[in-house]
Amino acid sequence: MTEYKEWIGIVAIACALLAGVAFGGSYIGTLVVWIAIAAVMASSLRFVLLIGELNFASAAFFGIGAYCTGYIVNHADLPFVLTLALSGGLALVVSIVFGGITLKVKGPYFLLIGFAFTEALRIFYTRMEALGGNSGLVGIFPPAWLDAHYQYFTTVLCFLLILGLLGIERSHLGKIFIAIRDNENVVRSVGNRVFFTKVVCFAIASTVAGLAGSLHAFANNVISPLDFGFMLSIFALAYLKVGGEDSPLGPVMGAALLVCVASYAQSLGGNEHILYGLAIVLSVLFMPKGLAGLADLLRRKKESVA
Amino acid sequence: MQEVFQLLFTALQISAVYILFSLGLTLIFGVLKVVNFAHGQLFTFGALVLSLTMGALAPSLGHGWAAYLVAGLAGLAACLAVGLVIYQFGFKRLERDMTGSFILSAGLVLLFEGLMLEVFGGAVRPVPALLEGNVQMLGLMVSRQRLVLLVFAVLLTAAILTLLRYTRFGKALRAVAIDYEAAMLQGIAYRRIALYGFLMACALAATAGMLIAPVAAVTPTLGDAYLVKGFIAVVVGGMGSIVGAVAGSLLIALLESFVGFYFDPSIANLAIFVIVMVVLLVKPKGFFGND
Amino acid sequence: MTDGDILLSGRNLSKQFKGLRAVAGVDIDIRRGEIVGLIGPNGAGKSTMFNLLSGFLPPTTGQLFIAGANMTGATPERISQQGLVRTFQHGSYLPSMTVRDNVLIGSLGGMRNARVSRAEQNKGIDEAIALFGLSNHWNNVAKNLSHGLQRLLSMAIAFAARPSLICLDEPLTGLNQTEVTGTLQVYRRLKTDYGMSILLVEHNMRAVMNICDRIYVLHHGEIICTGTPDEVKNSDAVLKAYLGEAHGI
Repeated sequence: MTEYKEWIGIVAIACALLAGVAFGGSYIGTLVVWIAIAAVMASSLRFVLLIGELNFASAAFFGIGAYCTGYIVNHADLPFVLTLALSGGLALVVSIVFGGITLKVKGPYFLLIGFAFTEALRIFYTRMEALGGNSGLVGIFPPAWLDAHYQYFTTVLCFLLILGLLGIERSHLGKIFIAIRDNENVVRSVGNRVFFTKVVCFAIASTVAGLAGSLHAFANNVISPLDFGFMLSIFALAYLKVGGEDSPLGPVMGAALLVCVASYAQSLGGNEHILYGLAIVLSVLFMPKGLAGLADLLRRKKESVA
Repeated sequence: MQEVFQLLFTALQISAVYILFSLGLTLIFGVLKVVNFAHGQLFTFGALVLSLTMGALAPSLGHGWAAYLVAGLAGLAACLAVGLVIYQFGFKRLERDMTGSFILSAGLVLLFEGLMLEVFGGAVRPVPALLEGNVQMLGLMVSRQRLVLLVFAVLLTAAILTLLRYTRFGKALRAVAIDYEAAMLQGIAYRRIALYGFLMACALAATAGMLIAPVAAVTPTLGDAYLVKGFIAVVVGGMGSIVGAVAGSLLIALLESFVGFYFDPSIANLAIFVIVMVVLLVKPKGFFGND
Repeated sequence: MTDGDILLSGRNLSKQFKGLRAVAGVDIDIRRGEIVGLIGPNGAGKSTMFNLLSGFLPPTTGQLFIAGANMTGATPERISQQGLVRTFQHGSYLPSMTVRDNVLIGSLGGMRNARVSRAEQNKGIDEAIALFGLSNHWNNVAKNLSHGLQRLLSMAIAFAARPSLICLDEPLTGLNQTEVTGTLQVYRRLKTDYGMSILLVEHNMRAVMNICDRIYVLHHGEIICTGTPDEVKNSDAVLKAYLGEAHGI
């Protein structure tokens, strides 16, 4: 039972969110889509953390997915599903090239290159006429047949992606990821291909981020270069840190909580940056295992009392 | 030829600020093994405090050197105070936990940026020019103000490099950066060195921010662009390496002024990124990185 | 080198670090099913030698053949696929994972190119765990094990990859006498039951003399003596090298 508690938890949150879409009116529906996409981004960030690397390029791949979708919708009339697949595919291809170069380095180097890559892409978008330059792209709507159900579609797809990542994490491949984080020389010494495995991990996470970006573009209808700066990676980090990175439930819980609080605070005229910044700082200093860790602690206390 | 000299001078002048900025980053990394994203925020904060104090002092001191000096000291003091708080309550508790410290610094970026936006507003806060007019030098037209800023930055960099190379404190700092456990065994008080190193880096960031203030648009997001460039300089040069920070900054400034002039500034930014990738392919730890 | 019995063969291997020649022109051969010791005073170049053989360092000069294939300059992954697996002197395990998952990683490496059923794989893992006496700890997280058990685990990981040559870097350090005796017993089984060769770097001279078929003595990066334990024990060159070290201390 405890083996499956994360699966159950994630599915339960997904059901709650879907109920929100069904009964909560249009504002709640929009909020749910934000939460679902934020949860995917945070899960993608966590996925690369399995090999011990902090992937600041996740915002870049989110942007690649979104821009690919925006471009296709504006310039080529392709079917919706194909658009989605191509957006994920582009993120996959770019991530294999980028990862193939940068995963030779580790830790701060890898992190800062990802950061620079995100910023370089943002500048690239502003320079490209075909991508709308500074003002970005507009008119990115889901097809008519899906429009009424788009919030359901996005939420379900996002959670399928999250469950897919969890499935990989629990597979043998996922165990090699964690082993690499623990001690990559041991993993290498028995014949596992460390570098190749790292690129695979990075490519999977980036493809998922690209798909999330595509879903975001369709949900938002409008995209601009400013949406895809490094702040986006820091936001994803905030969800992850508040939720707790040890458990796959963490990013989902963190995204749900922070997006709701931020939305409420903004309606009161609060500053989103201060809120997210404070959430990260307080979590790091006082709740290093995040909400998931806290829940675990409470459960264990209860068990030890019983 | 004239053009090339002009561009070289521009590069030198931009690099002076980058060097001060990236020296701070590399110091913090060397001593604490922390990648401090909030460094750009201190840079911005210094410039903002300078601008605010200059405004407040204008009725009594005018816009002269005295006002600049007092406001500069105020900016320095404010940044050191903030730095002290961040270190004592933040980085010290996460000693050498790279990921944790990094996440903390990313949180601080958001927090400070939000707070500065709330407190100072998003509008540009101009800092009055210190000197007017241009001088003719080696056949180049150079604004007096930029010349003074450059000279100051170069002198400061020279002073810092001398400090790091020849003083006891500097040697202790470099020993900690190379191997902090060995340094501790040699009787070096790691915690104290780490604190001083961190504060020194904060002071460098603030100074760089205040030097750029009279010639830049001072807003709460002033530091962002410098942060990216500063980090790239440090990565190219090798994290934790002092020489690397200087060399990396020079390289980036050269690219920025030459590519920026012959093509355009955003191409220059892209070129800088391509260079980083190439450098990483050839020398994964940067030009002067050692670990 | 056409000798079918020879599993590993290093020819004229050298490693130069800036000013220092850590290994200088070493020839080494290991036959199938042979337990070979590599000893020498501290700083003799044993660790460098290990890194050269396992591909963690490329040699400055010389050539390396494993099971007939030229492995000079190959990656550790490639060399491991060719049948050589090593352990590390410190922390040669995966601290956050359970004993079973640690051994699983070894088995995954060993079976990279083979199609093996889940059941067979699980059997192999259980066998490795049992062989090194870790059956009672299979679900414990590695960082919580005692030092001795961690040593055994690192060997179990390497064994699970089913190499033909297993290179052990000071595996007996920190084990108590019973554990040492038990481990030496396991080494004999690796040799007889599984036909594996072992290369052993070890400071515990009694154990080395007891278990090894042949010994190489390394000093200042050069092989100063090679032979059976008895031959090595009676070598003047070896005596001088070790006495020199004792003198230094």
